[in-house]
Amino acid sequence: MHVGLEHYLVVSALLFNLGLLGVIARRNLLVIYMSLELMLNAANLALVSFSRFNNNLNGQVMVFFIITVAAAEVAVGLALIVALYRKKQTAHVEDLTTMKL
Amino acid sequence: MNSSLILEIAVTILALALLLADLWTPRNLKRYLGYAAAAGTGLILLGSFAWNPDPGSSAFDTMYVLDPLALYFKRFFLFAGVAVLLIGVEFSDRFVTGVTEFSVLVLFALCGMLFAASANDFILVFVSLELITVTFYVLNSFQRTRLVSLEAGVKYLILGALSTAFTVYGIALIFGTTGHTNFQQIAALTGNMTNKPVFILGLLMVLAGLGFKIAAFPFQMWAPDVYQGSPTPATAFLAVGSKAAGIVLLLRVLFIAVPAVAVDWTKLLMVMSGITILYGNLCALPQRNLKRLLGYSSIAQAGYLLLGVTAMSAAGNSSVLFYLTGYLFTVLAAFMVIAIVTRGVDGEDVSALAGLHQRSPLLATALTLSMVSLAGIPPLAGFFGKFLLLKSVLERGAIQPACYWLVGVALVGIVISFYYYLGVVRAIFWSENSGSNERISISWPSRAVLLVCIGGMLYLGLMPNRVVNASVQAVQVLKPTSMPRAVVRF
Repeated sequence: MHVGLEHYLVVSALLFNLGLLGVIARRNLLVIYMSLELMLNAANLALVSFSRFNNNLNGQVMVFFIITVAAAEVAVGLALIVALYRKKQTAHVEDLTTMKL
Repeated sequence: MNSSLILEIAVTILALALLLADLWTPRNLKRYLGYAAAAGTGLILLGSFAWNPDPGSSAFDTMYVLDPLALYFKRFFLFAGVAVLLIGVEFSDRFVTGVTEFSVLVLFALCGMLFAASANDFILVFVSLELITVTFYVLNSFQRTRLVSLEAGVKYLILGALSTAFTVYGIALIFGTTGHTNFQQIAALTGNMTNKPVFILGLLMVLAGLGFKIAAFPFQMWAPDVYQGSPTPATAFLAVGSKAAGIVLLLRVLFIAVPAVAVDWTKLLMVMSGITILYGNLCALPQRNLKRLLGYSSIAQAGYLLLGVTAMSAAGNSSVLFYLTGYLFTVLAAFMVIAIVTRGVDGEDVSALAGLHQRSPLLATALTLSMVSLAGIPPLAGFFGKFLLLKSVLERGAIQPACYWLVGVALVGIVISFYYYLGVVRAIFWSENSGSNERISISWPSRAVLLVCIGGMLYLGLMPNRVVNASVQAVQVLKPTSMPRAVVRF
């Protein structure tokens, strides 16, 4: 079977939607955060396959930027979630209710 | 060496020098490093006025451009940076550790905004947005001993990362359909791209990411909580800097990269603008927390700014720039007052303002003027800004009658907003003062910021010519399509 651009794009769209579903449906901050990373990697996959099939390296360059930024984001994000856990002993979104009208 | 990056380089060097200096500074002197940061940024701001770069200069193979629009926003961000750093010094007694790191992070975010002002390529859009967003995750949760601050940080983290994911996927789709990331190269193709659903989907996703930055409906849900929980200087920078960065990127993407699509989206932007105005103003009505109130107010202001974008004309774009400049002075004055007044008070309830006119006439004047300006009462900056925005939308009404409805909605929103803005003024002058009556002492740098902001509000309201001319000059690089194609469908 020939694997073309469409296949990669379908996988990437699936990954993106699964990540989005995770962000919406899951209640644990760490799992939500993992789902967010999944969404970023879906974009990476789309960029790499577009680059490969259009013979244009710009997309690959962008992927390097995304990987770097995602790493920084994870470092900051996990530190924040740990700080919240220390303060409140919870990593569930239902408990983030200090500020309400 | 390419000299067009000089402002960004100067800000980065200043930030790194402060990090180093922090190592050798004794604990009790650290707040003076905040003053040093503000002074350094102020010098860079003054230098930017003396500097006269070639309007066509660019860097990184035209990924970064230094046109008049970029320069206008760079000066805007640098001024916001100076004021936010001084608010930070005023606020520094409430940080447990990391007084200098706060200033340094503000400078890094500022650097991201300076890059955003010059972005001419989707890669730079992404990198500069992320430089801003990731530093704001830290800034928002900087008071890590306070639960509200951590909660604000986590909420901003989750929703910010979500909007990043949308932006990145959108950029991937745009790259896939056009084969380019550069704005000019995409613009050359968009004429025959407007009916490609994948390309439009990608653009919509990028619009969602930018809508998150400016807190426009339906991407506004983070704003009230994050504004309330974050440390006051971080909130101020979020309200001014982050929003303006979103606006400049929105203008560049819409009018440089995809001018043909922008016209098709007029109706979409009109709906967004109208709902944002009504949502922000209606939700602000019952608020008692000052920062939360300003959070909802900032949503409404995002709606007003979108008014100018929907006008799809040079007049609309220049009024967006003018309104943002007025908003800069107004909001910075308000947050400076909040930072000073809430010292020693838990929370930012409106009742903390009771008797402020006796405790400090300057603070009372500054906050009153900024509320009056936000409400849009003459003769202040907010009035003239709203006037220009509505005028530009009315001009568009001749070819798109729905614009008259939008103006009506905006006017209703403005009338609603009188209630809560003037409620704050009432709390200052006419409420029972149960707290202390002692005078509030204000350090002279904070006093200077307040006076400059008051001066700015009055100047922009009474003598707007110079700034209007500067904003008209700045938006000349944006070329809204003169013959809107959407007209046919009405």
